[in-house]
Amino acid sequence: MLPQDKSTAEMDPVERVLDMVSKVCVAVAGAGLVTLVGIFGWLVWGRYVMNDTPTWVEQLALMLVVWITFLGAAAGVWTQSHLSIDFVREMMPRPLRVPLHWLALLGMLVFGIVLAWQGWVLAESTWARRVPMLGISEGLRAVPMAICGALTAVFTLYQGVKLATGKD
Amino acid sequence: MGLALLFGLFFVGLLTGMPVAFALGLATVGGFLYEGLPLFIGFQRVLSGISVFSLLAIPFFIFAGELMMQGGIAARLVRLASSAVGWMRGGLGVVNVASSMLFGGISGSAVADTSALGSILMPVMKEKGYDGDYAVNVTVTSSVAGVVIPPSHNMILFAVAAGGVSVSKLFIAGIVPGVLMCLCLGVVAYVIAVKRGYPAETFPGFKSLAISTIVALPGLMTAVIIVGGVLSGVMTVTESGAFGAIWAVLVTILVYRELTWAKFRAAVVTSVRTTALVMLLVATASAFSYLLTLYRVPDLLATAVTGISDNPIVILLLLNLVLLGLGMIMDMAALILITTPIFLPVVVGLGMDPIQFGVILMMNLGLGLCTPPVGACLFVGCVVGGVRIDQAVRTIWPFYLAIFGALMLVTYVPAVSMTLPGLME
Amino acid sequence: ETWRTWAIHPEGYPNVVALESFAEDVAEATEGRIEPQVYPGGVLGAQPDAIEQLRAGAIAVGNFNMGPMGEIVPATNVLSLPFIFRDIDHMHKAMDGEIGQRFSDALSEAGIVALSWMDSGSRSFYNTKKPIMTPADMDGLKFRVMSNDLYVQMVDELGGNATPMAYGEVYQSLKTGVIDGAENNYPSFESSNHFEVAKYYSITNHLIIPECICVAKSVWDETPAEDQEIVREAAIAAAEEQRQLWAERSDASKQEVMDAGVEINEVEDASAFQDAMEPVYSRFIEKNPDLESLIRDIQAVK
Ligand code: NA
Ligand code: NA
Repeated sequence: MLPQDKSTAEMDPVERVLDMVSKVCVAVAGAGLVTLVGIFGWLVWGRYVMNDTPTWVEQLALMLVVWITFLGAAAGVWTQSHLSIDFVREMMPRPLRVPLHWLALLGMLVFGIVLAWQGWVLAESTWARRVPMLGISEGLRAVPMAICGALTAVFTLYQGVKLATGKD
Repeated sequence: MGLALLFGLFFVGLLTGMPVAFALGLATVGGFLYEGLPLFIGFQRVLSGISVFSLLAIPFFIFAGELMMQGGIAARLVRLASSAVGWMRGGLGVVNVASSMLFGGISGSAVADTSALGSILMPVMKEKGYDGDYAVNVTVTSSVAGVVIPPSHNMILFAVAAGGVSVSKLFIAGIVPGVLMCLCLGVVAYVIAVKRGYPAETFPGFKSLAISTIVALPGLMTAVIIVGGVLSGVMTVTESGAFGAIWAVLVTILVYRELTWAKFRAAVVTSVRTTALVMLLVATASAFSYLLTLYRVPDLLATAVTGISDNPIVILLLLNLVLLGLGMIMDMAALILITTPIFLPVVVGLGMDPIQFGVILMMNLGLGLCTPPVGACLFVGCVVGGVRIDQAVRTIWPFYLAIFGALMLVTYVPAVSMTLPGLME
Repeated sequence: ETWRTWAIHPEGYPNVVALESFAEDVAEATEGRIEPQVYPGGVLGAQPDAIEQLRAGAIAVGNFNMGPMGEIVPATNVLSLPFIFRDIDHMHKAMDGEIGQRFSDALSEAGIVALSWMDSGSRSFYNTKKPIMTPADMDGLKFRVMSNDLYVQMVDELGGNATPMAYGEVYQSLKTGVIDGAENNYPSFESSNHFEVAKYYSITNHLIIPECICVAKSVWDETPAEDQEIVREAAIAAAEEQRQLWAERSDASKQEVMDAGVEINEVEDASAFQDAMEPVYSRFIEKNPDLESLIRDIQAVK
């Protein structure tokens, strides 16, 4: 059963916490999306009505979209809504299907860890660089990638535990 | 060898049922390790792949489409189509196609089209005695119009993957092929409806037609703002996407008064999810294609293709068949990102305009959305219509043929797609 | 050993032609010990990414523009100051001499070994409305600039409305009036087709930004001294070839846009534009007091 099909009461404590984390991700990303729309409205207003183009919109928008993507992607791991091709696996006989499922989880775990690690590396190496027109650190662009990687790993671990204990 | 490893890892990942974006990412990691390249370069590509200005239009189009759905614009478009063409024999089938054409002009997403129109139209069709398989077939195949008729976030993906093709030209180029495709589908829907003896609706009269047109107009304005904003040049593509979303909020709150806070939140949440799925694919696919470039895959493919045949007609047919095959098993966004840099040089070598290829890609991969085993629209359509997939697929082939016919016309007659953008010059 | 060589420009562009000669020269003179392989068109990434890749040794050679370099090596921001060079000759003289060496040293601290300096021409304003003769003519016009605070200040001080925008959006935006103008050199003005929609090109020569042929320091340090010498000579020869080709290309582009009906004008009084930059310079020096002497020394080069 997928987390989004359950009520909070049906969840175990760990699941409840993780579900909350994924919802926070979506909420922050959602606020980012609404902000994104808003600043573009401001951009056009500034250019046509004030004849003073806000010069920070372009760079801020590029930053926001990275945060929306990675926070939303992390939540997508929790709700298992990423596009996948599972018909091949589902066609297999059970003795093959189970190891394939484990392999998929292992792959997600590994990629999540690498994503978190490399996100950290990139954030560190670009921290001193400034984003033009914004003045904030370029490293902030890589932070959501690290968060997404870490959450992917945690969510996948939980799904692994569920699979091992046969509760899924 | 490195190339074999890259694709090997990718396909094994897909086989296990890993999400496509993660399989691409993991294969890329393997490729970088094998080549002894610093890993951070791959992840730098992951980041810079989505820090692209023109991609900003994607969340806007997705958001605008979601707001239309939640705020009742879709329902009013159906009413308009129904008063316009519902009087024909098998009227609701034709209405379904016509609605998709109108909705396609607003939403860039075939899946949104299927779920929005399907949930309105399919219950009505069944009630009037239409078979479930027919209802699903019409709904699912006509939803491809959402991808081909502008605006379309998949076209933005193509423009970016193609290295900066003009989005506004691409938008204009999609109009005629999209309408043509809907005409073909409309004919098929009509012929089958007559054969199966489905009923016609009564014509509600011109006054009623006029009223439903006026009611639908504010919703249709969203398309006028997005496409018109781009063409008239008051705004860039990205800005007009943002204004489309703002307009959709205003219309559904102030005019239609259907967008509640809960519905608005639902639209935001769904848009975030969809945006993240698409953009994560863009991110990992751009790291993956970094390796494809290092291995000079586009050159290799061009050589291979010209080795098979030097007849452009044969090569184009082959490319279409390969794309159709890939489209059956993989999703559209991922395929646009992976195949564009590989196939585009080949067709450009044959003298085809990248814009025309973009339209071909949209129709071709759009058809893949309606086919098993992996077809997002088919799945959604079957769920909404309460029909089993095998049931729906048994009778769907005439509709496939209609899209394929239109696809062939667009492939071999450049004028179909290129006339309108030519007028822009 | 294969040296991946990065360039943003497309095949056939002066820079890429020169890099191809560089690759050939190096491969031949080192008898294949070093084989540069050119990846044109930015297929390996945009410049900020390519710089990081070079610093990590994943690409060995890069043809970098000094404009965006400022985010990484702050001293190179001096080269983005409007009117820092009087003309192309001034730039050549400075960069080929002691000044160039000072930039090389700064780059070297960031892991980038600059071997020689190429041209990217001089940039001037073009627009859809009217010839620009004095700064007053720019009043209220929307000019696209690259995302860099110095360029934004430059246009704002001249009385225009600075609009940072992605390069790919500029053509359509000019055509439809989202912006009124932009600024670039002749070859880019021509190859981007902006000349089809912006019919006035006013020679302000406000930015003259050199480009380098740079080698990764990690790669450089592992190269034997004799091969280093070969590579350096080939890079200097390539830069000379590029400057030659660039001048030809620039003239050809100028001719082409003139044939297409673009009205080209000299500005009445260049010093009026330069004087307007006073606040830009003083703000810059206030923020980077250590770079003041470099600015003065560049200006002192005769
Ligand atoms: Na559309
Ligand atoms: Na499919």
